[in-house]
Amino acid sequence: MLSPDMTMAETVVEKTKIEVKNLNFYYGQSKALKDISLSLPERSVTAFIGPSGCGKSTLLRVFNRIYELYPKQTAEGQVLLDGKNILDRSQDLNLLRTKIGMVFQKPTPFPMSIYENIAFGVRLYENLGKSEMDGRVEQALKRAALWSEVKDKLNASGLSLSGGQQQRLCIARTVAVKPEVILLDEPASALDPLSTAKIEELIDELQADYTIVIVTHNMQQAARVSRQTAFMYLGELVEFDRTEKIFTSPREKRTQDYITGRFG
Amino acid sequence: MTIASDAMPSSAAARAREATVRRFALTDALFRGLTRASAILVLVILGGVAISLFAGSWQALSSFGFSFLTTESWNPVTEKFGALAPIYGTLVTAAIAILIAVPIGIGIAVFLTELCPRPLRRPIGIAVELLAGIPSIIYGIWGLFVFAPFLQTAIQPFIINVFHGVPGLSSLFAGPPYGIGLLTSALILAIMVLPFITSITKDVFDTVPAVLKESAYGIGCTTWEVTRRVVIPYTRIGIMGGVMLGLGRALGETMAVTFVIGNAHRISASLFAPGTTISATIANEFTEADGDLYTSSLVSLGLILFVITFLILAAARYMLMRIDARTGA
Amino acid sequence: MMALCVVAAGIGLAWLALILGALVYKGTAGLSLAVFTEMTPPPGEAGGLLNAIAGSLLMTIIAVVVGTPIGVLAGTYMAEYGRFSRITTVVRFINDILLSAPSIIIGLFVYELMVRPMGHFSAIAGAVALAILVIPVVVRTTEDMLNLVPNALREAGAAIGAPRWVVIRSVAYRAALSGIVTGILLAIARISGETAPLLFTALNNQFWSSNINAPMASLPVTIFQFALSPYEEWQQLAWTGALIITLTVLGLSILARSLTGRREDR
Repeated sequence: MLSPDMTMAETVVEKTKIEVKNLNFYYGQSKALKDISLSLPERSVTAFIGPSGCGKSTLLRVFNRIYELYPKQTAEGQVLLDGKNILDRSQDLNLLRTKIGMVFQKPTPFPMSIYENIAFGVRLYENLGKSEMDGRVEQALKRAALWSEVKDKLNASGLSLSGGQQQRLCIARTVAVKPEVILLDEPASALDPLSTAKIEELIDELQADYTIVIVTHNMQQAARVSRQTAFMYLGELVEFDRTEKIFTSPREKRTQDYITGRFG
Repeated sequence: MTIASDAMPSSAAARAREATVRRFALTDALFRGLTRASAILVLVILGGVAISLFAGSWQALSSFGFSFLTTESWNPVTEKFGALAPIYGTLVTAAIAILIAVPIGIGIAVFLTELCPRPLRRPIGIAVELLAGIPSIIYGIWGLFVFAPFLQTAIQPFIINVFHGVPGLSSLFAGPPYGIGLLTSALILAIMVLPFITSITKDVFDTVPAVLKESAYGIGCTTWEVTRRVVIPYTRIGIMGGVMLGLGRALGETMAVTFVIGNAHRISASLFAPGTTISATIANEFTEADGDLYTSSLVSLGLILFVITFLILAAARYMLMRIDARTGA
Repeated sequence: MMALCVVAAGIGLAWLALILGALVYKGTAGLSLAVFTEMTPPPGEAGGLLNAIAGSLLMTIIAVVVGTPIGVLAGTYMAEYGRFSRITTVVRFINDILLSAPSIIIGLFVYELMVRPMGHFSAIAGAVALAILVIPVVVRTTEDMLNLVPNALREAGAAIGAPRWVVIRSVAYRAALSGIVTGILLAIARISGETAPLLFTALNNQFWSSNINAPMASLPVTIFQFALSPYEEWQQLAWTGALIITLTVLGLSILARSLTGRREDR
């Protein structure tokens, strides 16, 4: 839970981590994002909410260009990471994704041991000795609040964990490669309430070091974890403001209707 | 808990990262190229088959011309070669095999999907698929040593007697009973393609939406009516595809036929007479063929078989693709 | 009418049971240690199938070693890099045709490709013919199995900055491993009984040979030659060889099935 004085700390002095300028996105011919512009401040949690199909996941998937795994998906406009346009053709995708990590809706542990799940990503870019790697794995698992549960079975398959544990393993895996931004695509929607609470707690801790963007269909969750919230509808950004403001006195009628449950 | 350096790699590390990324781009392009080349190799193989068969058959085709297809005589001594007898044998044995195997194969598929008690379905289904994998030489050796003598002593004399004097049928089933021959080959082929037709038909039957069948049962249709009026019309293209696949198999099957066909280059009205097929002729004569023209004539037979089976298999795949597209949608 | 279907099933299964019954009955009669320790005999004498079995094993191994990587890589292109490209549709169509093309045609192809230019029959030509039969089976199963790997796993791999080939190697292959192995086993099952493509590539050899540049005996071709001979000893060896091949093929198919079966359970 966020303390009120923290939310009151206005965003004016904060550094912008990601700035989206006039972003349009297409699935083939159909336009899925319409002229989106917004700035996400560094080291804070931003939530994207809205009914399904509103484009919130699509927007998230532009940030690490994961959409490029599929044909006929195109983005126009600019997405600036620390002032540099990541939609630029010269941007290396693998390098981008080491800076912007992502955790998905369903837990996606790799078909390997718990230890390897984490070491896999680290090993790609860093040449660590055995003890350094052990330390890195332990550190990542601790950050994801999973260490105490798995420290005695690091060689067990990642698939042997429970759903909630698997999701925290995925967070640990993402943290281990030291990204600057973490994207969370409905990270708790496949989990039970207890696991969800753990994930939310974790998000709260991680924002001290990372810029976090979370997509959620759960408005309470957005209200609990985020500092600013974007409400999207039919591919448009309807309203973007401090979370508290969105949930108490939204400017737009559509936002009002959505958060009071009149549609969605 | 908070480790600020976590999120900020030093600039040296950043440079190392960029070098790594460049290396990755290179290896990825290499691997991609390797996989792509392998995929294209599949096309090259088929192209190579077509080209080499054309090249190998050129001599025979240019010296005999179109008459190669219409000449019955096959004489290595005078070097006069014609493909009519093997083409005839190939088509007749495959056609009879399909005529026998299709109703039985579809019958088994209906039995497996609609009638068979549940606990037996999987074992019988698996048995059918395992049998599809038994090498054809096994069917050949069985046909030669067990089936042909049985036909010769028990079945053929009886049939010859029954139809003796009946116009048409008497020449179709004219003696003497050799045991081996066109009909024996066709029967063996029928047994061989049966598992193929059954397993494909069973697969396409499984694509029929349960709702369709249930609503037909709901208005009081019997199992037979549901099968005939709903399941078979719905899967017609898929069944046709399966039948064509079986036909392609029967046309090109070599070893099972070579054992029991008799290898005689003539066309006789009787199904009991020995004959030959394209593949049996090649298998029997290729290594003994002396003279380029003889070899080239055998390769020409191969080319004809290739063209026929290519067309049949392409049609079969096209039909099965349409079924897949529908279930995918 | 439905009764006819039961009859059809009965006929079909009974017929196949007859074949297997005869095979076991005739084949086991000649089964002895000598079959595996002695060479193929001259006409009218007792002997074994050692050189034929060894030849089959050697050519099968070469064929699998050559054919499997090509098949796996081609299947990888179709399911990964080229999943949405037009080439993939064409390759899939052609591969399916190769999959059921008459194997004797492949024999003729390799004859024209290798035997004629080299001027003599050889085990390596036989192995290449078998490799060409291995490829389409492996391509098909590899593509199918990789297509079953959820895209979420590929996205997760890409999301930590792993390049595509690392994701394929360390994630997709690992997830599809048992399926791909099944494909390889099925390919081995397919070629271990193939006779037609060996008839005029590897030919046959009455004696022990380990020279891959010379004709080599194989079990199926030996069976073919022995079964059509007038000598009783040879015919008996043919039956026994046929039993060995059938048991091998059935064993491989059952092993392949149990592998994928376990995969589905998980």
